[in-house]
Amino acid sequence: MLTEELNAAARLLGETLHESEAVQKYLSALVDCEADPETADLEKRMCTLYEELLARQQRGENLLRSEIDNFNALKRQVYQLPRVAEREAALTPVKAYFAEIADEINQKLGMEFPALAQAGRL
Amino acid sequence: MTTQSPSINTFPELPTAPDRVAAQAAHALGKLLFDTPECQAYLKAIKEINSDVDVQRISANIREHETALQWGKGNRLEHQAALTTLEAELEALPSVHAYHQAEKAAAQLFHAVDEVISQAAGILFAPNAKRSGCGCGG
Repeated sequence: MLTEELNAAARLLGETLHESEAVQKYLSALVDCEADPETADLEKRMCTLYEELLARQQRGENLLRSEIDNFNALKRQVYQLPRVAEREAALTPVKAYFAEIADEINQKLGMEFPALAQAGRL
Repeated sequence: MTTQSPSINTFPELPTAPDRVAAQAAHALGKLLFDTPECQAYLKAIKEINSDVDVQRISANIREHETALQWGKGNRLEHQAALTTLEAELEALPSVHAYHQAEKAAAQLFHAVDEVISQAAGILFAPNAKRSGCGCGG
């Protein structure tokens, strides 16, 4: 679907972003997170529970208040884990950096690249 | 006593800031994307929809009913029924249909480009580049 030129330009941008300090710090924090069994286990439990609750909600089921409260408590517990907090903190500068880079594309296009790219995912 | 300023050429080359390199890469990518048939067709469709008198007329009608609903004027059910009819009328217009088709094609192209960027970056690009909303990309 992509021309060779477009593919190469997209890859070059991705590789350049990968080399940036912000992305390197985030990826390092991500590795630390995944390497910690307690963190990985708790986060996996949170994701599984989220998907389960979401699926039930999408089937038209009304969730109990206690189920939502339990999920929120688990989420708080996960986000208070030091490695998760470090990873999330490392993501903030990545987002700011990516937004600046996306502005360069948006400016050339005259439209919002990230929003449209995400719409194309659906 | 005077000191001679060293020539700029005697200084070691300044390292290129990665931000600048990435900005240049983004700029080049934006230019290539802009020139694609998908992007040009989408921009043309936007222009056409904005100059379509039927779109303007129906949109103005929709806004009137929405405002009335917002301020609690008139019969709520009648406004809602009118909105449903007008929205269907709007969607049936050829320029609106063409706009949706062009938007879909551009979005699919942008998504494919975003996948290449994200794969090379090692992290999702578009969801994290949005200035607002959730960037979890899950």
